[in-house]
Amino acid sequence: MAEFLTCPFCGFEFEKVDTLCAHGCPLGAMCHLTRCPSCNYEFPDRPKRVSWIHKLFRRGALAYDELPTDIQPITKLKGGDRATVLCMGGQNPSRHNTLAVFGLVPGSEVVLVQLQPSCVVRVGETELALDTEIAREILVQRLRDQEPALAP
Amino acid sequence: MHLGRGSAVSSQSVNNPQRRKPDAVGGQTTVLVGNPNVGKSVLFKNLTNRYVTVSNYPGTTVDIARAQANFNGRAMEIIDTPGINDLTPRADDARVALNLLDQYPDSTVVQVADAKNLRRALLLTLQLAELQRPMMLVLNMVDELDERGGKIDTDRLSEILGVPVVTTVAVRNQGTQDLVDALSEARKPTVSVDDHTANGDLYERNRVLLRKVHDILGETYQISQPQHASFSVRLGFWAMHPVKGLALLGLVLFVVTWFVGLFGAGTLVDAMEVPLFQQRLSPLAIRGVDAVLRFPHTHDVELISHAVGVPLTPVHEITLATLDKEAILPPYTLQPGVDLSTPQNVLRVAHDFLVGDFGAITMALSYAFAIVLPIVTTFFFVFSIMEDSGYFPRMAIMVNRVFRVMGLNGKAVLPMILGLGCDTMATMTTRILETRKERIVTTMLLALAVPCSAQLGVLLAMMAMLHPAGAVVWVAIVIGVIFLVGWLTAHLFDGDTSDFIMEIPPMRRPQLSNVAVKTWTRLNWYLREVIPLFVIGTALLFVLDQFHVLEALARVGEPLVTGWLGLPREMANAFLVGFMRRDFGAVYILDAATGPDAVLSAHQIFVAMVTITLFMPCFANFLMIAKEHGMKIAWAMAAFIFPFAFFVGGTLNHLGRWLSF
Repeated sequence: MAEFLTCPFCGFEFEKVDTLCAHGCPLGAMCHLTRCPSCNYEFPDRPKRVSWIHKLFRRGALAYDELPTDIQPITKLKGGDRATVLCMGGQNPSRHNTLAVFGLVPGSEVVLVQLQPSCVVRVGETELALDTEIAREILVQRLRDQEPALAP
Repeated sequence: MHLGRGSAVSSQSVNNPQRRKPDAVGGQTTVLVGNPNVGKSVLFKNLTNRYVTVSNYPGTTVDIARAQANFNGRAMEIIDTPGINDLTPRADDARVALNLLDQYPDSTVVQVADAKNLRRALLLTLQLAELQRPMMLVLNMVDELDERGGKIDTDRLSEILGVPVVTTVAVRNQGTQDLVDALSEARKPTVSVDDHTANGDLYERNRVLLRKVHDILGETYQISQPQHASFSVRLGFWAMHPVKGLALLGLVLFVVTWFVGLFGAGTLVDAMEVPLFQQRLSPLAIRGVDAVLRFPHTHDVELISHAVGVPLTPVHEITLATLDKEAILPPYTLQPGVDLSTPQNVLRVAHDFLVGDFGAITMALSYAFAIVLPIVTTFFFVFSIMEDSGYFPRMAIMVNRVFRVMGLNGKAVLPMILGLGCDTMATMTTRILETRKERIVTTMLLALAVPCSAQLGVLLAMMAMLHPAGAVVWVAIVIGVIFLVGWLTAHLFDGDTSDFIMEIPPMRRPQLSNVAVKTWTRLNWYLREVIPLFVIGTALLFVLDQFHVLEALARVGEPLVTGWLGLPREMANAFLVGFMRRDFGAVYILDAATGPDAVLSAHQIFVAMVTITLFMPCFANFLMIAKEHGMKIAWAMAAFIFPFAFFVGGTLNHLGRWLSF
């Protein structure tokens, strides 16, 4: 069955079979990257199996080194960075709803105010303090100057 | 509960099971609804000419205020509701608002919004629109929007929503008349959101609504980021900065304890206790009671001097004048060789109950009004200033991570700081915490290690007798105990710690009127709730004293005090009485430590200080724990706290002796 992927960079949707890159690449089956046929951006197609050490010490739901470089948890931003929220992470609808009423939903624009001693983000005109554990699960894409956010 | 608001107007608690029948018909009731911190209460005041406390700490109150008003010749009842962020009945506040809307099915809904933060307001608008009530939208604080160069197309917004939209500046009472005029045009919203995806899921539904809000904002709204940060904005940032914020936190705590200890417990108590109670009211009461309840006895008379001065530290002051006055004291002697008849003995007991050593007037009331009242007033005043400035949420940010160790989140900082004023009131405030575990841990720490303001003055005075290092060690021990016991309780007690998701309201200059009303609201609560408990506690002491139970208890406790704690035997009595009057026990110790014939060494002062800090604050606190968490929990806490206080005190005593201090 054909599997569809969306490029995190340009948003192009394509079938998975199209994603083999250059023939004769020495990495061959070892390569876990998928290349977008539209913009040639490479991204990991599925998270690698996490080792038990990783499980023991993991502090979020995802192994971050698997993520494309411009998608990161909010805690990896620097103070003052603007970003678009991509995914709230975790399986906690009640928490997601609490954040949603403050306007923090996928697609909204956030500004990281500070990380220490607690994470503070600004969503529109609302300043919101969060546990670092909650913030770590929220994945964002950093926005460059003047770049508008997506719609919620 | 009266924490944030409510004293100025009649208020009805959420817990009140009695449902009010709608006494107004045909839209004659108006319900104000809105997000927290949008100026709803000020608007309420403008509409009704009555004041309600404006609380800056999200979630300090679930009380509502109501008042009558007359608009263009129409009588109308206005109801203010707690600030809410959405209409899902998960939080108490939202439940109260929903219940109110339920109770008044014919009411008009006036939504108040912060014009700068239209996104969040419109989410609520769309939720309210689903109720299909006549409503209108008030965009408050438009002046701040103008300053920021923002714009709202109110006509277009009104067209989209299908309800009247007016702008106001509530703090300057601008636009109130427009609001009143538009109120008669309030109608059911025509805006609706097609819901194909949510399937009853609240989160998905809110996302759908937010998408709609985004579209509406795109058509009607623009705002830009502020060009330069004002002082209050910068102060707001400092207050949560990892380094500057910590320094500010330390400074604030220091100033608060010093101010309360010096001004409240020093100057004000001096002014109330000696000249008013000891020199005048108490002798008056004794003479009055003697005139009615006659039996042959003579009261002791002593020259009481009152020094008027300027305090420098809790124990040093510049004396300006000394006022001496002879006063009658509660202790008395019976005429020798005269046996009292039975009726005379009955009179004597009644006399002792009113004006004896443990008398309702001479002990309970003089304690409550002359000592505790000035101190808590000072504290509540300072606390209200901090609350009104918006500092508490920033404090919560600073302490969130360390509070996590104790199974708490940063929100618990509010009851902990309030505990420095009155542990009993703080115990009640633990209601704002979301999980039972958090409430139990906080209650425990308050009862164990947070000294109340009545004690702080005495502790500061004792601390002044010690080497500064002693004070540092005392603070370190108290903080260490808080962490150790908090950590243990958190691990022994099953349950979850709630998420720390907290809105940070902007810092603002405290308004004197707000501060005054908040101080008064808390004092009012204190007078009504705590003072009766003091009277009950003193009555209990009186009964125990009459049946010589106090003596027996003190005798049993003596070996523990003299042997284990290494303190003089009188201290057993001080500790015992200290439970009913925490400061009273401390005053005993203070006399022994700093009085004219001081008997305590520095080492003993230190041991006594730590032990008395760790004791359960007072009888009222015990009763409040029982009221909030049940008798079982209250006894369990008492069973832990008293042995633990003795354990720590004794350990310090032996450790100190071993290190030969």
